[in-house]
Amino acid sequence: MRAYVFTDKSLERYAGQFVWLSIDTENATNAAFLKAHPISVWPTLLILDPKDKVIFRYAGGGTVPQIRKLLDDGERAAHGSHAKADTTLIRADALAAQGKQAEAAKAFDEAIAEAPKNWPRLGRASESLVFALLQSRDPQRCAERALALYPRVRGTGSAVNVASTGLSCATDLDAKSWNRSELVAGLEKATSETLAAAGRIAMSADDRSSLYESLVDARAQAKDDASAHKLREEWAAFLEKEAAKAKTPDQRAVYDSHRLEVYLGLKQPEKAIAMLEQSERDLPKDYNPPARLISAYRAAGRYDDALAASDRALKLSYGPRKIGIYRNRAAVYLAKGDKASARKTIEEAIAYAESLPTEQRSEPMIASMKKQLDTM
Amino acid sequence: MKRLLIASLLLIASAAQAKEVLPWIENDYAKAIAHARAADLPVFVEAWAPW
Repeated sequence: MRAYVFTDKSLERYAGQFVWLSIDTENATNAAFLKAHPISVWPTLLILDPKDKVIFRYAGGGTVPQIRKLLDDGERAAHGSHAKADTTLIRADALAAQGKQAEAAKAFDEAIAEAPKNWPRLGRASESLVFALLQSRDPQRCAERALALYPRVRGTGSAVNVASTGLSCATDLDAKSWNRSELVAGLEKATSETLAAAGRIAMSADDRSSLYESLVDARAQAKDDASAHKLREEWAAFLEKEAAKAKTPDQRAVYDSHRLEVYLGLKQPEKAIAMLEQSERDLPKDYNPPARLISAYRAAGRYDDALAASDRALKLSYGPRKIGIYRNRAAVYLAKGDKASARKTIEEAIAYAESLPTEQRSEPMIASMKKQLDTM
Repeated sequence: MKRLLIASLLLIASAAQAKEVLPWIENDYAKAIAHARAADLPVFVEAWAPW
């Protein structure tokens, strides 16, 4: 969003209406913020009243028109008079911001039930409901509500998140779920329909990419390799076209992570390597290109290059992301058959994870690495 | 969830670019809240990660 959205001149008129705070959640200096407002989804957009109380929350990014609409909604939440559904939505946003996702989901549902006809916040409330259900680990209800709400948001920007998140929930369902196949089929249709309407719906390239991702996952889960492969090829062509339009290396690199995923899915690591080596040359202070190169070199069997890339990434990185780089480095050692070095790397990762401030420290992550050590 | 992690990748451009349009306070929560109280304005927060 910083590369494409928050630079848009049309947002200038909002400059004096808010105090604008940018929080890098990986930066340890933001511990006090993270203690007051825990963040579990990136990006998260919040509006706080002057007393530091959350009055608006949106998990995700968007296009310039979508962000303008969110800012208008936020302004209204801060200053406007509210219908019952709006007051309930503010309460739901505050609950979600406190990490109380199950309670938030209940409140989002209440707001939707109270919504007047043509309520302009229906789309955002529907997206937030589906995310809250996903985060409260209730894939059954997440998929069911997404499928039920989709007809009400069809053809709008909110259809992207409702359909694709709902589809991810549906594919996560246990085979024992009585209506799994019905939910997957309905949401796959909704996601395909939204992707086909991409020219008519205001959606970012990132949104479009997420639709491809959900559809590929669904086809791969169904073991329909031919369709998954075809979708991946379309997805790669789309991303390459978008990357070619970028005016700066920063803008082009926005697509690197998506492209890495799709090239690895297509078993074309050489394409990912060429792309990431270019990004590393263009953005020498950014740890992302060498961090991503670890996976690309590993997929190509170039283990020593992968280890060298991990050295460079570890030097540049900071915050919780560093743990993922250690783990990826350990995976390279394992692929090489060097168990002792893999073990040592995981031990370093645990020590680093334990040294992080409480707000950045993840106990489940530490426990999972300790468990991993036991298996080595 | 995956979608949102991907969405965060849109955030890697320099802060300087964003400052051209909006007066961002970078990584200073206390300063932002103090400004908000003094000016009686809400705070818009973009919580992001550089990956």
